[in-house]
Amino acid sequence: MAAVEVEHLTKRFGARPAVDDLTLKVEHGLFACLLGPSGCGKTTALRLIAGFLAPDDGAIRVGERLLSSRNGVVPPEKRNMSMIFQSYALWPHMTVRENVAYGLRLRRLARTEIERRVDDILAVTRLRAEADRYPADISGGQQQRVALARALVVEPEILLLDEPLSNLDASLREEMRFEIRRLHDAYRYTTLYVTHDQAEAMTTADLIVVMNQGRIEQLGSPEEVYERPRTEFVARFLGGTNILRGRRIAEGLVDCGSVVLRCGTGELGHREETIVAIRLHHVDLSIDGGRALPVNEANGTVARRIYLGAQRDYLVALADGQQLRVTTPPSVDIPVGAAVKLRLPPEHCRALPE
Amino acid sequence: MAPAAMNGAVLPRARVDLSGLVFASLALLLCALVLLPLAWLVWFGITDKSGAATLGNFTTLAADPSFTRPFVLTLGVALAVSLLSCLVATPLAWLVARTDMPGRRTVRLLVMASFVTPPFLGAIAWEILAAPNSGALNQWYRALFDLEADAHVFDIYTVEGLVFVMTCYAFPYVFVLAANALERIPADLEDAAAILGSGRWQSFRRISLPLVMPSLLAGALVAFLQAMTQFGAPAILALPAGFHVITTRIWSLFQYPPEPHLAAAASLPLLLLTVLLLRGQHSLLRGRGYVVIAGKGGAMRRISLGRWRWPAFAAALAVLALPVLLPYAALFKTALVPTASDALTWSTLTLRNFRFVFEEFSATRLALANTLILGLAAATAGSALALVSAFLAARRVVPGAALLGALASAPAAIPGIVLGVGLFLAYTRPPFVLYGSLAILLLAFVTIELPAAYQQLRSALAGLHPELEEAGRILGASRGRALWQITTPLLGSSVIATWCFIFIGAIRELSATIMLTTADTKLVSVIIYDLNESGDLGAISVLGITLLAITFIVVAIANRLPRRRGDAMT
Repeated sequence: MAAVEVEHLTKRFGARPAVDDLTLKVEHGLFACLLGPSGCGKTTALRLIAGFLAPDDGAIRVGERLLSSRNGVVPPEKRNMSMIFQSYALWPHMTVRENVAYGLRLRRLARTEIERRVDDILAVTRLRAEADRYPADISGGQQQRVALARALVVEPEILLLDEPLSNLDASLREEMRFEIRRLHDAYRYTTLYVTHDQAEAMTTADLIVVMNQGRIEQLGSPEEVYERPRTEFVARFLGGTNILRGRRIAEGLVDCGSVVLRCGTGELGHREETIVAIRLHHVDLSIDGGRALPVNEANGTVARRIYLGAQRDYLVALADGQQLRVTTPPSVDIPVGAAVKLRLPPEHCRALPE
Repeated sequence: MAPAAMNGAVLPRARVDLSGLVFASLALLLCALVLLPLAWLVWFGITDKSGAATLGNFTTLAADPSFTRPFVLTLGVALAVSLLSCLVATPLAWLVARTDMPGRRTVRLLVMASFVTPPFLGAIAWEILAAPNSGALNQWYRALFDLEADAHVFDIYTVEGLVFVMTCYAFPYVFVLAANALERIPADLEDAAAILGSGRWQSFRRISLPLVMPSLLAGALVAFLQAMTQFGAPAILALPAGFHVITTRIWSLFQYPPEPHLAAAASLPLLLLTVLLLRGQHSLLRGRGYVVIAGKGGAMRRISLGRWRWPAFAAALAVLALPVLLPYAALFKTALVPTASDALTWSTLTLRNFRFVFEEFSATRLALANTLILGLAAATAGSALALVSAFLAARRVVPGAALLGALASAPAAIPGIVLGVGLFLAYTRPPFVLYGSLAILLLAFVTIELPAAYQQLRSALAGLHPELEEAGRILGASRGRALWQITTPLLGSSVIATWCFIFIGAIRELSATIMLTTADTKLVSVIIYDLNESGDLGAISVLGITLLAITFIVVAIANRLPRRRGDAMT
């Protein structure tokens, strides 16, 4: 069984650690996403796992097999992994069929066996009609599928994907997300997927690993990291969030200037400086003026309103100048300049360490 | 890497990694190629005949007007050539790159033709055209105005004549750089200026010209270098005229009685100057990056010349008649008549010169064979060397690989004649006695062509995404297999183009050759030079045409290489 285990993995480029003491275990058959902004070390981590880079410290294991340590590295060709590259890296001098068959030819399979397996994977990836064309002559989505087919046909234990969809346009990208997940479910290898796109991570992954500056910021199921971010970075990076800074005045009660918030979730502990995160769509907005309650309510003025089709996006200025973003159904239509009342439900106010 | 046992799991022992070995032997080879001749050169420059260290060579040279005068003259000639080259090449490049002038392809082809024409051949052709007495142009002039036998308008055996001929074959360097830079200016940069209210001329002057300026200066520097270090044209034009440039003066120090110590000392300032000028050029072109910033933004737009289209083309042709059309015509005509001064008519038409060169003249066959053998060997060895160094440097396979790049690029700073002196000094004595063999010429050609070949393959490799190899690795291919099955086929066209490039460079080389050739190792270029001294212009023309024909065939092959289908993808 091919669980991927990474222990205290460190890689420096110059003095700067690109991957800093990374420890992670992905169980066999899981789909894990390394998610983070560019430069967070996620691609370096993937290339370390693939064996293209040697770690400065730490170890990489698959099952019982030690693949990388500071003492040496099993070369990529001996790892029984497959990888899909950001550029796809299709070989322009080979046809689609030749590209896909290459890995099997290296494994010295019988010709008929190679043909059978190539035909199978081309059928699964819906590339039959393109088999004898060259990569330059097919569309971007098809190129992406050739890369998938080429990686999957060798039946790897582990599939690595490095921002595989970043070169596709928006609609195709959405389609390919489901395709990648569908193939994962069909073959059940262990998948490590690197992306900076949270929607991609949410739709595909069983396990999201949020990375920042070479370290793991948080690790959990998509629901977990979205609903229960543990740091301001995670809250901001996954989906729109309002961040209010304040100080704790009692257990679960935070004074944020023009609004005092009772927090129902998060780290309610004993810190003095605290921030409160609340998602845009969790804030209630009403034109009904009236005085706000002393806790979890605030008065404000609409500073900006944008119509987005499925929803409206408001920017509301509070009395002390703080601004909150609120999304509402499109039916809530309040003009700019109107006085409004905001309600921030305690169950959605999440206290986080500063 | 050490095999390690950790927690019961054992790392497989790494297979013997050959890249370290390849790297070490390559580094040694490059050192021998580049550093050995230079070391001998410096050593000879600072010692006297008895081997004692001295600065006497330099003081002798500095006090000797027969050395200082050519040195100063060379700088003046080179300056004039580079200025003239800019004056000719800039408008020509602008017409071809930015306007709707007809026949742009033809003009490009003609510029390319002057680029590959060996300057010594051009110089001889201009002898045929503009020698004061026998020159065809002067004869026509006399016939036209019915003048005395010694009346002439042109005299190619002058400093001006030399500058003119050198410019003919140096301006393509400026042209290529300027045209590339002009093409790279996207129209929206000029549009942006136009929207802000600047006129067409103003936006050319304020936007385009400054953007092209670094390339233009770099081109001027290259032209300067070409003129300063060239041996062929000066040897043919300056020596009969009774003056020396620096290269011919160094060469004359090897005539009887040879003065190797003085020659080495005289080579060093030339070497130093070349290094400095190349540094200047490098920094000019490095700052050029800003031109490409908007490389994606909109294609370049051609300026409409209106009714000036055809006059512009006529002017371009008139200019290109000087390096290509007139000299080529002169060579063909001379090849086909009994003696150079005969007019070409049906009654004078003869193949006697061809018969003489290919059947009677004993030196031809040997020289042709030598030239072809050396061309093939230099091209093959040079591209192989360049490919491996470029690969190691581009993929940083081993630590210190950048050093290989530096070594492979270094000969660019060694003028041919200086390398010739260095190789002569290095390989006429034990432990390496190669003088008198073709091997020493092979060393010279490989060394001379290596920098350009390395650069070409290095940039071809840079255009090849490393992920293409990595994709092979992760699927199970070893490094060697990925290099052989993926990288090599993808580089195919570039490798063949580089091969052709070295071949053309090798068969036209004269500067280093003239120092290293012996009776048994004559080349076509040397025979042409020898025949010029005996005045056999008919035979020269035949040999020259042969050389040009081989060159153009190879150029045509290089240009017809299939572009890879996927080039746009990578």
